[in-house]
Amino acid sequence: MLGTTWLAKLRGGLAACGLLAVAACGGAGGEDGPVTVSVWAWYPEFKGVVEAFNASHPDIKVEWTNAGTGADHYAKLKTAITAGKGAPDVAMVEFQQIPTFVILDALADMGEHGANEDEDLYAEWAWKQATDGEKVYAIPVDGGPMALMYRKDLFDQHGIPVPATWAEYAEAAVKIKAVDPDAHIASFGSDGGWLNGLMWQSGCRPYGYSHTTAKDQVKINLTAPECERVVDLLGDLVDKGLMAKDPFFTADATAALDSGKYWTWAAAGWTPGYLAGSLKNTTGKWAVAPMPQWTAGADEQGDWGGSTFTVTKQAKNPKAATIVARELFGKSEAAWDIGLNKAFLYPLVKDIAADPAFTGKAYEFFNGQKVNEIFVPVSQKLGDFQFTPFQDFVYSELDDRSAEAMTGGRPWGTVLEETQKNVVAYAEQQGFKVSK
Amino acid sequence: MTRSLPITAPAADDPPAAPPVESRARRRSRRVTAHPVAGMLFVLPFFLVVVAFLVVPLGYAFWLSLSSKSLALGTRFSGIDNYVRAFTDPVLLDGLLRVVLFGLVQIPIMLGLALAGALVLDAVTTKFALAFRLIAFMPYAVPAVVGALMWGFLYSRTFGPFADLPTLVGGEPIDFFSVSLLLVSLGNIVTWAWTGYNMIILYSALQGVPRELHEAAVIDGATPVQVALRVKVPAIKQAISLAAIFTVIGTMQFFTEPQIMARFAPQISAGYTPNLYAYNQAFAYSDFHYSAAVSFALGFLVFVVAYAFVFVNNRRRGKRA
Repeated sequence: MLGTTWLAKLRGGLAACGLLAVAACGGAGGEDGPVTVSVWAWYPEFKGVVEAFNASHPDIKVEWTNAGTGADHYAKLKTAITAGKGAPDVAMVEFQQIPTFVILDALADMGEHGANEDEDLYAEWAWKQATDGEKVYAIPVDGGPMALMYRKDLFDQHGIPVPATWAEYAEAAVKIKAVDPDAHIASFGSDGGWLNGLMWQSGCRPYGYSHTTAKDQVKINLTAPECERVVDLLGDLVDKGLMAKDPFFTADATAALDSGKYWTWAAAGWTPGYLAGSLKNTTGKWAVAPMPQWTAGADEQGDWGGSTFTVTKQAKNPKAATIVARELFGKSEAAWDIGLNKAFLYPLVKDIAADPAFTGKAYEFFNGQKVNEIFVPVSQKLGDFQFTPFQDFVYSELDDRSAEAMTGGRPWGTVLEETQKNVVAYAEQQGFKVSK
Repeated sequence: MTRSLPITAPAADDPPAAPPVESRARRRSRRVTAHPVAGMLFVLPFFLVVVAFLVVPLGYAFWLSLSSKSLALGTRFSGIDNYVRAFTDPVLLDGLLRVVLFGLVQIPIMLGLALAGALVLDAVTTKFALAFRLIAFMPYAVPAVVGALMWGFLYSRTFGPFADLPTLVGGEPIDFFSVSLLLVSLGNIVTWAWTGYNMIILYSALQGVPRELHEAAVIDGATPVQVALRVKVPAIKQAISLAAIFTVIGTMQFFTEPQIMARFAPQISAGYTPNLYAYNQAFAYSDFHYSAAVSFALGFLVFVVAYAFVFVNNRRRGKRA
């Protein structure tokens, strides 16, 4: 065990030192040549974005490293931050992780370098999550407004109405099972971020935290009725065998999506891009509808995922790093051309999301449907939603407790109760005053 | 060999049960001066490597474990608080219990298979035996991560060949990631990876058993099975217990397979094994201090278990002699 932990740490440290050396070497020659800014990010097709930036900024040179996706990237970043050296100047960080890195004292305030100017550029909800008062900790890039993907051909063929409410969703699940005993309406994916997005869409606001106002106070309320009803409904579908149990993003789940085993997926603005590459058999058979509502006729929306650029406190030239964070995507047409058409990011830059080139784009995967006409209003509708400064722990609890329920080891009704209990205990152990 | 570190490391920290301080100091100084400089120079590279990559990191980790970092309050010295927390942490204790139960079932099966394989290899001397030796050893050469991913796909309902086997005779497909089968599935991966390795260790030991012993037994009328069980097995007892100790230590440190398999099996929780728990504490929750304490607590337990194992073994051997 010691061996593994230390080896992993050492390796992270060595890799990071290597990068640091590169950055330091490049950065030293600031007056003669361009300033070098190191960036860690895992966007697809990111190479072209970096090249576009370097081409349009003769005074700054971005050195890009893909340090892994999600958890791997964060493990390295957190290690470098704890070590006090080895972190990149600019790091990609997802929205739910921003408060975590803020409390680790990892992020520089870009507000000091004029980043507050960008406020009007971005979707309001995203800017709120990226900032804390006047402090700008992150520059939004892409988001994950949620909508319901469904197999239009199968729904049409069997005369099942596309669910507009969650009650109708449960009814559709029964009908689908009756039509095809091997099929499920969807899979319960054991993904904390996904469940969080669904709870957000239900009007549940389980967390509250502001580092500026009170760094040791956090609000946790996962047992509000708006949160509970999500788990109750989905759990019931799982228990009845109407919803499958495959974790998302596994080969099994993808195969099931592509073979008519799942008829829907409550997914995010980035999902079409992710799926278009891997679902070959069912291209053109999918369509997107707005999320089912908890109250008929309501318009509650949620978000799953999305990311930002942050400047770390280890940045040697925070000013140049801020420029990189703001302008890698920002208003850059060249970058968004790649972001929208190759990487299939959902843009949080308001003008780009509202551009007819984006909203009017017809997707072959959705049989020519202009799906952004659905996603864009969702993003505009999204309101305030906060995260805890230990969101990894919360998601891990959500995952583990719902996995227990999925295998029959725990009633679904206690998943959020137990998560709440464990998260509160953890928060208190970490020195927070917890309110509900 | 990194697997044996936790045994030797705490042992090195343990001061030998005190002979009178004065005499020990005198004896040591005399011994040091007696060493020629050349000898020390020969030892120096090894010594430096051990200090740089074992003693210093261990010391640093131990020092980390004596402080607590809370997200809201920052870092403070907390003495043994982390250890009190570790030994009363239900998640860690659950994980520990899990690997112990896992080991109780998996280790005997694997070592039994390895021993049987080694005895067969030792008895058969055809070209087939050489090929078999290579094939059996091969899984050990596959990196653990690759092996775990490979098995993840072999277990898959959609892509794997095994899940649908029962449907051929009208049964239900097998879910290898279900609660009841998950540990078995993991055990199978470990057995697949390590049986060949242990078999080669035992086979090498068998090569060292004097042939006269078998011949004498055969002349006395022993059947091949009797030769194997009554002559060969007792002769390689030490190799068997060595293999067992390494396996026990490896099992206590169970990490790679569950870490990889968690992508396929959501019920592998953050604290599924103690090692996984320590990893997540450090690299997901940024609590390097508690992670260090968990690591040391586990290292200590591994040391106790391994030491107890050696002790009991030696006692038994002592009695027999």
